[in-house]
Amino acid sequence: MNVYLLAPTVLRVAPEDLPARVRARFAAELRRAGGFAQLCLLGAQACLDAAGGDGPLGVLWASEFGAVHATRAALDEDLKRGEPAMPFTFIAMQPHLAGALLAQRSHPVTRTACLYLPPDAWSRLPRLALGWLADCEQVLVGWVEESGSGGAAHRSDWCLFQEKPVAGAVRCERALEAENAAAAAGEDWIARIAAWSGPAPLLLRGGEDAWRFTRHG
Amino acid sequence: MTGAFVRACALASALGPDLEAAVERLAGTPDTKIGGPWPYFAIPISGKDWRKRAEAIARSVAGDLRREGALAPGEWAALPCIVGSSSFCVGAWDDGGWQALEPSFEFSSSLAKAFGARGPVTAVSTTCTSGFSALDIALGLIAEGEFRDVLVLGVEFCNRLTVAGFAGLQLLSATAARPCDRERDGLVLGEALAAVLVSAAPAPWRIAALATGMDAASVTGPAPDGTATAKTMRAALARAQWETSRVDLIKLQSGGGPLADLAEGRAVRELFATVPGSVSLKGALGHTLGASGPAELALLLASLSRGRVPATWGFAKPDEELGLAPSGGDGKGVRRVLFNLSGFGGSVMSLALEKAA
Repeated sequence: MNVYLLAPTVLRVAPEDLPARVRARFAAELRRAGGFAQLCLLGAQACLDAAGGDGPLGVLWASEFGAVHATRAALDEDLKRGEPAMPFTFIAMQPHLAGALLAQRSHPVTRTACLYLPPDAWSRLPRLALGWLADCEQVLVGWVEESGSGGAAHRSDWCLFQEKPVAGAVRCERALEAENAAAAAGEDWIARIAAWSGPAPLLLRGGEDAWRFTRHG
Repeated sequence: MTGAFVRACALASALGPDLEAAVERLAGTPDTKIGGPWPYFAIPISGKDWRKRAEAIARSVAGDLRREGALAPGEWAALPCIVGSSSFCVGAWDDGGWQALEPSFEFSSSLAKAFGARGPVTAVSTTCTSGFSALDIALGLIAEGEFRDVLVLGVEFCNRLTVAGFAGLQLLSATAARPCDRERDGLVLGEALAAVLVSAAPAPWRIAALATGMDAASVTGPAPDGTATAKTMRAALARAQWETSRVDLIKLQSGGGPLADLAEGRAVRELFATVPGSVSLKGALGHTLGASGPAELALLLASLSRGRVPATWGFAKPDEELGLAPSGGDGKGVRRVLFNLSGFGGSVMSLALEKAA
């Protein structure tokens, strides 16, 4: 099966800017969604804005650490003081909300999943997306990390997979020649595809798998 | 139609430390009282602290699964493991603070190790459907042909954050879970560690289909008319190539939530001209959240293998508006089961299970 990748989108947001960026894009605060879900939604929507289309979507994203800030806030600020956890920053819901929020705002969503993976396991995401394309016209795939300490930016990188080839799309296939592929990580594989230029194929490796990306048309 | 079978199951839950004990307990007199220091149905296995207890539970369930699964040592070692949970190890904070927490993937890897599974580990969270999202990934791995057997774990251990979150949403009952009952007033949370060994090798129960859907009406509950649930059930039936009349039993999501149960009742009645037998297991297990799919699957199949449809604990007075009356009884004729699951964030899943032999 041929699969094509569209609109690799790299989003970096300073933590203090996230509420304003969300407000600017969605004309709403989305406070009840919590920061991690907002970060997922902002990146996913930016990818969809760039790719166009309105077909049924699968939404699949991964993170190494997940909703760290919401967890910290809920545990340290609420539970430690004996105050009730705010329902909508309740950690069990946080990672999974983005799919529903996206469905409420822009696209029909048929399935979603949030995975926790080590950085070199990013290569499982395109494999899963391929399977999901049996049910969904397009699969939105992302890697999302909240900033750690030291003032780093939040990261929310996304791309769109589909079977239909279109101008500007990147053809993706599992590569057999993994030893020639450059090692990539969860936090940079989409950024490397976005930054890639020139006619030569891009070979990226993650854990046990490698992927070959070639320009279509 | 998938080519996957349920090869073996194991379970630690409030009904007992193992599946045998749980089935025995479920066949006995219902006891829906909430016990313990928190409003939680707890696994009766103790440990020095949260972490040690989690390890003890994992070792116990792993031992049961290894006996039941009967794989060769090399096959166990090669198993990929998919772990579904809504809370992973957040309960470790209760005892050890931030130092005790580890990334969800690391916790999942330590669980896989307890089972002797050294293949690739994946951790997935889709709230209460997490365990079936793990099953969905497992089915994909088997369909790809790279693995014959895949280990699926659903895990939910007690933690203050989950209790606080559900309490904040005012979704908990102060007394008992009463699925489908006229006097139902909320959920009771439960702990579980469930293990399901899924395989391409034939076994008594085949997974005919697993359909997924999204109910975006609200992030904390289904659309009142149950449309997304009905659509997902319909998709499972279509993929399994079943007519509704061929379904012998519906395993309901129903956990005793007034509105959520009503929405599921509407979905079932929309789809089935004559509603088949139904059962809910949350009155006995509690709502085990991300573990609920594998936990309820393990318990149901173990009961059916003993010729019984388990009773729905907590159900006594039918609700006419809901229109479902789950009841236990003879399970010998049950060949096809439709198994519903749904969760926060709009995730809806329906599993079609078929007796293979």
